[in-house]
Amino acid sequence: MFFLVEEYYPILLLLFVSIGLACIILGASYFLGIQKPDTEKVSVYECGFDPYEDSRNKFDVRFYLIAILFIVFDLEALFLFPWAVSLSHIGSMGFWTMIDFIFELVVGFVYVWKIGALDWE
Amino acid sequence: MDFLLVNYILPRLDLIELFNLNQFMDFTLLQQNYFKMFLPEVFLSTSIFILCLHASLIVTSRRLSYPLVMQSFGKLSVLILFLTFLLVNNNAILFMLTYQNTFIFDLLSSNVKQIILIGALFCIIISENSLIKQQINNFEYFLLVLSAVLGLLFLVSSYDMLSLYLAIEMQSLCLYVLAAAKKDSSFSTEAGLKYFILSSFSSALLLFGISFLYGSTGTTNFDNFHLLFAGIDSETSSLTQSVEIALICIMAAFFFKIAAAPFHMWSPDVYEGSPTSSTIFFAVVPKIALFAIFLRLFQFIFASFEELFLFALVFFSIASVISGSFVALRQKKLKRLLAYSSISHVGYLLLAFAANSLEGTQSLFFYLVIYMITSLCLWSVVLSLDTLTNEKRSKTLIDLASVGSVNPYLGFGAMLAFFSLAGVPPLAGFFAKMEIFLSALSSSLFFASTVAILSSVVASYYYIRLIKTMYFEKKRENSFIFPVNRACSLTISVAVFFLLYFFVNPYLLLLLAQKMALCLF
Repeated sequence: MFFLVEEYYPILLLLFVSIGLACIILGASYFLGIQKPDTEKVSVYECGFDPYEDSRNKFDVRFYLIAILFIVFDLEALFLFPWAVSLSHIGSMGFWTMIDFIFELVVGFVYVWKIGALDWE
Repeated sequence: MDFLLVNYILPRLDLIELFNLNQFMDFTLLQQNYFKMFLPEVFLSTSIFILCLHASLIVTSRRLSYPLVMQSFGKLSVLILFLTFLLVNNNAILFMLTYQNTFIFDLLSSNVKQIILIGALFCIIISENSLIKQQINNFEYFLLVLSAVLGLLFLVSSYDMLSLYLAIEMQSLCLYVLAAAKKDSSFSTEAGLKYFILSSFSSALLLFGISFLYGSTGTTNFDNFHLLFAGIDSETSSLTQSVEIALICIMAAFFFKIAAAPFHMWSPDVYEGSPTSSTIFFAVVPKIALFAIFLRLFQFIFASFEELFLFALVFFSIASVISGSFVALRQKKLKRLLAYSSISHVGYLLLAFAANSLEGTQSLFFYLVIYMITSLCLWSVVLSLDTLTNEKRSKTLIDLASVGSVNPYLGFGAMLAFFSLAGVPPLAGFFAKMEIFLSALSSSLFFASTVAILSSVVASYYYIRLIKTMYFEKKRENSFIFPVNRACSLTISVAVFFLLYFFVNPYLLLLLAQKMALCLF
């Protein structure tokens, strides 16, 4: 039984700290903030769309484009984290591989920029 | 690394005359050799990047008044593919595994790469004009073709499930966009969407199979699989059941990608809907790469499971031969007809695959090359059928009418190509088909070869009907075909020459096919 306390003690601590912190932040903004509610402010907000309406309405295809372009650079960041952690083990080959990867993404970025895919007009 | 050195490089030092032993002990030099093996791919990808930067800067330049770059990009792509071909051809090392055994370089991969590059080069040459005529003014088209070729090159030399999957995805992502290249046509968009949804489903199956393999063996490497399953007894081993499920999934994905019969429904729609220039690329180039990698997978790596996949291969072969031959009888559109004809040819190829012998694989590669030459000839004819009235719509069989009298040379080329597809004697197609049937018979596939031969009689009916349309049917209005452009006429004449030449002297090609097949046995 003791090893359970030993192993999971940090998680228990984390749980209490996060609950406490959440209570403090929410409570502070609830009690100290100035509140002037109107319909826009209190309505449910999700990615710029009203969540409760007919799902078969049109919306701009450029949302998809921006989202896809975002995913590319998102993934780049995803690759950069493990690379940065293991940089001391992978040598110059690993280093230059990542530089090459970033360079290739830059080529894509220049293309996207010049072709005007980032302009919303 | 020492393992690699001892097992793969040292025994083959006699093949490598460029380097001496002392250099091999140096690790950095070994890395350099890795890089040298990738020189064609590195060159191709660097060129793609430079083209991309160049185009995006030029096309959007107000100072140059937004120029169209299609003409120059077509020429540049041809040049790049040719230089890549030279680099592959110039390879000094005959066998090597690189980058933790994820890529293999042997005679099979280098020969298939050369064939792919030449095929793609001819595809670009003949389709360049039709792109301009159809007003597809996106320079991305050529970049996508080049990236698809790059993916195919990686696919051919991949030696690990991960690199295989990534390469397949790379080439098929480019192909989806190529199918939807004509943005203002709803047919083209539909073809692209259909291709994307169905093909990504099959990729998911492939990935599922790979995950099963990884789950049961803990490795994704072909070399490890080969060592692990060498001489395994499928009755007793506890491992085999999950591996068999995995192989069934992988096989289904493969049959889907090459459009073998029960999984062929996407191919006629995609062929019909996408612009002809993209259809040519789908029809000519990717098949040989897929066949090469899956032959390596099933005949070499998973050779112990032959009972499992031979049954499937025979079934799919019979199904594709029958459906390809009989459904094509009812087709009215030219591109659909050619799609069904390619399905029946996939059936013959699978029959050679199912023979599972050196002769079978040799005849498979022989047939693939002959089929590539024939279809290049045929698709150039399809591109040259434009008249004043049918320029905008997709071609039907009646557009072939009286081609034989209006443009006798074009008609003659088309006739020889159709006869070669049907397998009529003084042409290379006859020899290719005979090789396949002989190898299937020597592997005791009597029923499958009988069905295939009978269906090929049915198939020759509709080829001969097309020839009849060309020579003996008259159009109502006086027809006038636009003059055949130079690239198409060059391709038709070269292809016709080789169709005749390989009947007289097939030994060159047979030797090449044997060299490729020997890598698998």
